[in-house]
Amino acid sequence: MSGTERAPTYFLARQRSLVTPLILLGVLLVISAWHGPHLFTSDGLAGAVIGAAPLVLATLGITVIAVAGPAGVDLSVGPVMTFINIVIVLGLPLVGVSSPVLVFVAAIIVGVLLHVAMGTLIACLRVSTVVVTLAVYLVLDGLNTVILPEPGGTAPDWLASWGAASSILSPILYVPVAAFVLWTLITASTFFRNIRLMGANDRTAFVSGVALIPTRIGAHVIAGVFVGIASVMYSGLIGSADPTAGASYTLSAVTALVIGGASLAGGRAKGLGSVIGAIDIWLISYVLSTFNFGLNASYWVEFATGAVLVAALFAGGILSGLSPREWRHRGGLAGPTP
Amino acid sequence: MAGVVLIALIAFGATSIGGFWSLLNLRSNLVFASFLGIATIGQTLCALIGGLDLAIPFVLGAANIGLVRLMNGGVSPGLGIVIVVGLGGLIGAFNGALSNRLQGQSLVVTLGVGNAVLGLVQILVSKGGVSGISGGTIEGKIPRWIEQFSTFNHSFGIAPAVLLWVALIVVTIVVLRMTWFGRSLYALGGNQAAAARVLISSWWSWTVVFAVSGATAALTGVLLLGYTGSGYAGVGDPYLFTTIAAVLIGGTSLVGGRGGYGLSVLGVLILTVLQTILSGYNLSQAAQEAILGFLIIPTVALYARSPHPRMQI
Repeated sequence: MSGTERAPTYFLARQRSLVTPLILLGVLLVISAWHGPHLFTSDGLAGAVIGAAPLVLATLGITVIAVAGPAGVDLSVGPVMTFINIVIVLGLPLVGVSSPVLVFVAAIIVGVLLHVAMGTLIACLRVSTVVVTLAVYLVLDGLNTVILPEPGGTAPDWLASWGAASSILSPILYVPVAAFVLWTLITASTFFRNIRLMGANDRTAFVSGVALIPTRIGAHVIAGVFVGIASVMYSGLIGSADPTAGASYTLSAVTALVIGGASLAGGRAKGLGSVIGAIDIWLISYVLSTFNFGLNASYWVEFATGAVLVAALFAGGILSGLSPREWRHRGGLAGPTP
Repeated sequence: MAGVVLIALIAFGATSIGGFWSLLNLRSNLVFASFLGIATIGQTLCALIGGLDLAIPFVLGAANIGLVRLMNGGVSPGLGIVIVVGLGGLIGAFNGALSNRLQGQSLVVTLGVGNAVLGLVQILVSKGGVSGISGGTIEGKIPRWIEQFSTFNHSFGIAPAVLLWVALIVVTIVVLRMTWFGRSLYALGGNQAAAARVLISSWWSWTVVFAVSGATAALTGVLLLGYTGSGYAGVGDPYLFTTIAAVLIGGTSLVGGRGGYGLSVLGVLILTVLQTILSGYNLSQAAQEAILGFLIIPTVALYARSPHPRMQI
């Protein structure tokens, strides 16, 4: 993501995608300061970090898929996180694994395996990302309920204590920060530049000698790593296993991705934008929880998330993106047509 | 291809499940198929122009609870149905118009609009209603003729909902095959740039197609209200994936330009028979969902693959 080797105007154009998420962040912080100042106490901040961390990491994961494009919307992320959550809470104790390092390693391995399976199908069969991740959503969403009909189990003690968020200077902060450092290292690599080239135009990438199949599978490996870490944080947040609650992460993460300024046409998405977008989504539900909607609270969250997604699309369409003429040449949702 | 699968499934079901050919089973299967079939009209048209409508389950649920709220508030049932189907169409038109302006990103547009609409309708329904909403469910007095419309024990023999579906099948296929508008959808799905050269308005076509999708989703919500007898916001949830699965299994390509509603009807019948068979084996709803997911990828791999980049240079 180094701007030095590019023309200055282009560099500015790249930062423009951060305007929408930053404005939204500012507005939400002002409302929080006015209506829910608890957020700015040390308890409130720690709760915010553990509350937002799973979404932030999941959004980083699907950002790679969006970059690898075209129309790289990963719908599977919610059920995938739920599946890894069940593996961590119910599967790993069966084989006697509960130490922090091994739990992280196991979660990342499961995430990578699932994503490599999806990436292989997308790359080798040349089926659109939406269809494959939709199928995986169905398979895992059903499977999760079959494995675990009712919420239950308890996460390992060290992990469950993260959900209590007693202090902000603890792993609940270190893990997301380390993950973001890993993200910046990955995005600086030549390999990631190949992913961007492939997402922007796979024909150009192909004639430039980029091996498309390994590059696409590699993008999914990166996504799997971040989704795996997100699942560990999610297990810490809820402290148990739940077969259905995680599915809503699909909508939240896709919304965060779009608010963060990712171009769903492929090739362009910023990790920082996705992080801010995810924080925005968490803040929306926090702000709404400070109003007394009672039983209607979930309807308001549903309405606000959807409305913000549409508003972000409006803003994003005005601020950036391809012109309709450019889009016509790319051929719409399912990628280039002959 | 899809026809062969359907015949094989029916043969399998007839030999392995007791009571498969019973009149009651056939009638109830046809009613379920008509719900899915009507909702799939919109999804098929969207797929033909290269879009996807993920708002269908939300519009369906919103129409379902919205109609109960309107009738509880004293609106006559006939007018209420016209209102919810009309609003469904308007929401769809908004989806289509916005998706087209946003480079065809119908997936996120419809996901966002759908959530906003269902959330808003639930807020409105729960506000000072004659009968409030709790847990997404709303009770109300449903007129007998609406219930009779979707019941499979109808004295007429075949439920009116099935007859409505048959009529809509004919209309949809005739419009797609024989009218200028129908053919222009295939042109758009096949090649946007070429369609623009022959003066087909991409924006207008998207708006109309998604409006039809919103209206058929709302209509399905009305029919389901007659079937279940009370309003439930989550009633449309299964329709998000089953409408897409019916389109894909029938053989309409999500890339656009290839397929038709006749194929989707086969897809709907395949799904319905498959669900009967899976239920016959005592598989839970969740297990059926997982099996459906496993079926999608091989079918898509048969019909909807993109060409290799080397073929596009």
